Amino acid sequence: MTRPELSRRGLLRLGALLGGSAALAACGGPTISESGGAAQADIDWSGVQPAPQITWWSNHPGTSIELEKEYIRRFQEQNPGITVNLVTAGKNYDEVAQRFQAAAGTDNTPDLVGASDVWWFRYMINGQIIPLEGLAQHLQIDTADFNRTLYDDYAFNGRHWALPYARSTPLFYYNRDVWQRAGLPDRAPETWDEFEQWAPALAQAVGRPPLGLGPGTSWTAWWFCNFMWGRGGAYSQEWTLTLDKPETLDAGEYLRSMVNDKKFAAVSVGGDDGYVADFSAGVTACTMASTGSLRGILAQAQFEVGTGFLPKGPAGPGCPTGGTGMAIASAKSPEQQLAAGMFLKFLTDAEQTANFSAGTGYMPVRTSAIDRPDMQAVFAKTPQARTAVDQLATTRVQDWARAFVPSGDQYLTTAIERIMLQNENPATAFSAAAAEIKTSYEQNVARYI
Amino acid sequence: MATATTPPDAPVRRVGTHRAPRSRPRSRRRNQLRNWLLFAVLAGPNIALLVVFTYRPLLQSFFLSTLQWNLGSPTAIPVGLANYADFFSDPGTARMLAITAIFTLTTVGGGMVLGLLLAVLLNRKLRFRGAARTIVVAPYVLSGVAVGLLWLFVFDPNFGVLSALLNAVGIGSPDWYTDPQWALVMIIIVYLWKNVGYVALIYLAGLQAVPRDLLEAAALDGASPIRSFLSVVLPLLGPTTFFLSITTLLTSLQSFDIIRAMTDGGPLEGTTTMMYSIYLEGFANGRAGYSSAIATILFLVLFAITVVQLRFVERKVHYS
Amino acid sequence: MIVDSPRRPRPAVGGYLTMAIAVAVMILPLVWMTLASFKGMDELYRLPIQWLPDSLAPTNYGTATQTVPFGAFFVNSTIATVFGAGLKMLLGLMTAYALVFVDIPFRRFFFYVVVCALLVPQQIVLIPNYALVAQLGWLNTYQGLIMPGLASAFGTFLFRQHFLTLPRSILEAAEIDGAGHWRRLWRFVVPLSGPTIAAVGLVSIVTEWNDYLWPLLVIDRPEMMTLPVGLTLLMNFDGVPDWGVIMAGTVLVTVPVLAVFFLLQRRIVAGLVAGAVTG
Repeated sequence: MTRPELSRRGLLRLGALLGGSAALAACGGPTISESGGAAQADIDWSGVQPAPQITWWSNHPGTSIELEKEYIRRFQEQNPGITVNLVTAGKNYDEVAQRFQAAAGTDNTPDLVGASDVWWFRYMINGQIIPLEGLAQHLQIDTADFNRTLYDDYAFNGRHWALPYARSTPLFYYNRDVWQRAGLPDRAPETWDEFEQWAPALAQAVGRPPLGLGPGTSWTAWWFCNFMWGRGGAYSQEWTLTLDKPETLDAGEYLRSMVNDKKFAAVSVGGDDGYVADFSAGVTACTMASTGSLRGILAQAQFEVGTGFLPKGPAGPGCPTGGTGMAIASAKSPEQQLAAGMFLKFLTDAEQTANFSAGTGYMPVRTSAIDRPDMQAVFAKTPQARTAVDQLATTRVQDWARAFVPSGDQYLTTAIERIMLQNENPATAFSAAAAEIKTSYEQNVARYI
Repeated sequence: MATATTPPDAPVRRVGTHRAPRSRPRSRRRNQLRNWLLFAVLAGPNIALLVVFTYRPLLQSFFLSTLQWNLGSPTAIPVGLANYADFFSDPGTARMLAITAIFTLTTVGGGMVLGLLLAVLLNRKLRFRGAARTIVVAPYVLSGVAVGLLWLFVFDPNFGVLSALLNAVGIGSPDWYTDPQWALVMIIIVYLWKNVGYVALIYLAGLQAVPRDLLEAAALDGASPIRSFLSVVLPLLGPTTFFLSITTLLTSLQSFDIIRAMTDGGPLEGTTTMMYSIYLEGFANGRAGYSSAIATILFLVLFAITVVQLRFVERKVHYS
Repeated sequence: MIVDSPRRPRPAVGGYLTMAIAVAVMILPLVWMTLASFKGMDELYRLPIQWLPDSLAPTNYGTATQTVPFGAFFVNSTIATVFGAGLKMLLGLMTAYALVFVDIPFRRFFFYVVVCALLVPQQIVLIPNYALVAQLGWLNTYQGLIMPGLASAFGTFLFRQHFLTLPRSILEAAEIDGAGHWRRLWRFVVPLSGPTIAAVGLVSIVTEWNDYLWPLLVIDRPEMMTLPVGLTLLMNFDGVPDWGVIMAGTVLVTVPVLAVFFLLQRRIVAGLVAGAVTG
């Protein structure tokens, strides 16, 4: 079997040298070509020996640098022939991704790289990562044991391009003291209708709209999935935008009236993290926040914190998943990729998964990890953590318009913020977003797939 | 004391290498060669660095602006001037340019006025003025990221010190983070806070060239100190003003750190300036070609403004 | 300087008041930052607002310095600043001298080459320079950190404008005495340029010390990071940021540069104010 990646790179360099574009290639620019960079033939892994050294780019989600170092130590103990270099490639998913894109075409690419829900697809269409089916089979990674949604978030055209690592979902957090004062049962509302019935009493208890909503990219268009899916809407069906579907518009209208007419909810004035601060300080009675925020909220709050599923809509529950997976870079030799695959297998096995989940608050991505004693101990200590795991059953893979189209999340966030902050008609706001997403799809996606 | 009214190039021809009137053509040519070598040794390294690390990328960026290229992709397709057409036809462009203009004009204009007032104040014979000068300049030396982070805390409408102060006098805090207009005001305030000390310092230096008695007279003359300041002192500060207008304009149009740390261009893109848009389109959206087109336009705008400023100052110099 | 006149009128109450307000505006945010750096997570978000921290125990500072190697950040920032700013000043002085005192044709052209560099937005050069530096194997090195920003455009511009105002008689006298160009630069031109050097020095040091975007891109090993980049390592994404720790980190980033500035301010401010910087 050939090494398509190496030969392609070699050809690229040779072509650049022969053609007049040597200077450009030397600057790391693109070559002029109509073809995209995606997908390549699978490699026969049976004759490949793992490389002695690999590099891992992470942003240590959930302040996990010590845990990650520990996993490397354990892995190297089991595999003395392989050294893993851990690199802090940014403070968040976006910075890791931006660095990975900037590094394309240079020798400074990692072997294993963080691939968040809104970035892995771009890595894929740029040809920067490899599909993992062959490697998973060769290394006997038990992919069936992964939570289905969390694993399939990385699927496109029947192949998976990353494995789940630090994964989160939104949760409904509520202030149990306020709940008690308002005379409500000690649980999250089952449905948004129920929340509406409770809202007046809650509003009276806190003296303002009881539900705090967080603004900002990578966030607003994420939790909105709950309202939208719960009312039968969606951002898109595969590549077809459904932003003008009545159900989607209905969800937008529901949010608009909840914030602007009924005043049961308000956008946090404290900026991107304000909704968490507002809730922890008792300013708001409840909020939707990530599972990753659980530890922080418990540390800050001076009251009893309750957690529950996101409320259902008329069409049922709706809960998105987020966070980051790990992907393997294509610009490396099969030996490097194999070593990276071995480490990835180790990193996502049941033991490490449970340990990581216990240490950070991220979801246990493997079903078998949930029953492990260390995980059970966590649930015993912080029962709120259990909520997220139970809620996993109701999660669903993200709509492509948000997760796959470059900047799709940003355009949707702008639309939803306009609906909330400027009381704009959802039809107007969503049609503006649809136009932007369509352009982005045509320019950045269509010709690559 | 250096006076500032020297025409940029006038004396050069006479200062420096002394041109002997009797020199014969041959030795002149040798002199020329020697001068070229000397120039190469002295200025060569700097100019070479500029060519490699500034002009080479600039040229490459011109080229990239004619491509449709996803950052990170090995291939791109040429699209001619389509990126420029997109820029000018995008409905959001006008707003982004307006935001850039407001930010630039207020930070440059406001900074110059406040800086001048501070300089005049700190030039008066007041006790502790030395300490005050130092404190006023201090924020300028801080990192933009650190400044952004610390002001996030001051502005927080619920937990910030500013809202506590505003509440104390009976005014509620504006929604700094969720109202696009107030967010822009917030960014401008922070930018001014950080940079006004630099303007004040340079003006303070300029004021030293103004004869003291003129200033004293301006201060003592009860009739109209403001008018005497405007008519007597300000013109003498002309060169300083020119220098500041160029440097603060360039810094303001290229400011990045504070926006990055505080708003990331939001809310509702209300703090996305041209510079920030280059970053967002190129890195966050991965539209490297489009981003390069905006960068090229920004470069041309800066170029045009600077040429106009240089023209202006040269005419002024001839006039004086 | 004129001595205070004996018939000086009323004490300048208005002046002192304005000065006090200006100083307060400049200093209060820094005080607030320092107070926040001693607060725990639950104290930061408490209503009504809590002005003073419950305790002055440096818990957050401990956490900040244990989480990331601030000592290494400090050393790296110092090295990058000393070499970056120092060499940049040297290049600027040499170039400006050549532009003013070495008689060659097209001198004006070279001046414009230097000045135009000021107009190139930093974002443009990022990717091409990153690719070049990566190709040279300079990622995570001091030369990779320093070299791309080393060329002096602003300094050269300022020095040149100043050199043009120098009395030519001195330079001519030096030339007749047989002083070479190198000697003329260091013995005559530089000593006459104190305030301008102070101004350029201040700007270069500040720019170098606070640079964020470039170091963020070329450095990914914590032991090679500079302070502004390292500071962002304290941010915990996808969770609740512990702002007390971040503020402690911000104080740690801020204090050294403020300290140096306060130590040198006499020279910088006084030097600048003693002579005029002119355009």
